[in-house]
Amino acid sequence: MATFISGGCKNGKSYFAQRVAKAYGAPLYYVATMIPHDDEDDARILRHRADRAGWGFETLECGRDVLACLERADARGSFLIDSATALLSNEMFAPDGFHAGAPDKVAAALVEFVRRAPNTVVVSDYIYSDAAVYDEWTLAYRRGLARVDRALAQACDCVCEAVAGQIIVYKGALP
Amino acid sequence: MIFIIGGSDQGKCAFARETLGAAEDDFFICGEETREIDFSRRCIAHIERFALGCVRRGESVEDYWRANAARLDGKVLIADDISCGIVPVDATLRAWREANGRANAFLAGRAERVWRVFCGLGQVIK
Repeated sequence: MATFISGGCKNGKSYFAQRVAKAYGAPLYYVATMIPHDDEDDARILRHRADRAGWGFETLECGRDVLACLERADARGSFLIDSATALLSNEMFAPDGFHAGAPDKVAAALVEFVRRAPNTVVVSDYIYSDAAVYDEWTLAYRRGLARVDRALAQACDCVCEAVAGQIIVYKGALP
Repeated sequence: MIFIIGGSDQGKCAFARETLGAAEDDFFICGEETREIDFSRRCIAHIERFALGCVRRGESVEDYWRANAARLDGKVLIADDISCGIVPVDATLRAWREANGRANAFLAGRAERVWRVFCGLGQVIK
């Protein structure tokens, strides 16, 4: 039974997701989706690694084509994918240019991922409630991430939002 | 009147179709250029864009809804929540954020039911 968690920045999504993966049971896999571009990204990765230290996760680096990491892992294990946001960004704004079809591709891949590996928790980011007027690229990205989120919310058994470290359940029960 | 709020692209109109039985031609979709709402339609969507148009024209969106309050019975009003980001640097967008918030509070106050839609899933908040 897969879990989808979203919410604002620094509201406890990753910590919650780590607990869900732990509850699913071993072996634990952490699907690391960030492709670092600068010192800030490197620092963020080190911070996340320190947060996970001692939890027993094996890290699978997978910035694109997320299904590929199932070939390097036991699909009966527990997977923490952090995050749908980074996966979409990597696919949509790739080194070879802009990919308008990335949202459909990422949504389909993640839905297939949770079908093949049901003990998966996917983290996303709630970026939908500000009063800004964006350029078309940003709008396409935001609309695209919403498409990915909604597909996952439909495919997952448990859907929740993290708010100030608290978990609001919209669908199903916590694992 | 039913009020549906949620972040952008969360599936609010789809929710109105699936849960409230709205049909495709029940919808009036507002734009910034909208000056008059078509109250013959059951569902009025993107009222935050209507609010931005009002602000750009120097009109009060809250006054518009108050003046048309009697026409809201039986309607479904659908709004993007734009209240949670950084305070915009641009004065018009800042005014929009505030005017929209006041209008939403008035509309949700009148509504018999308020839904918040998160990733396509509705939650009753009133």
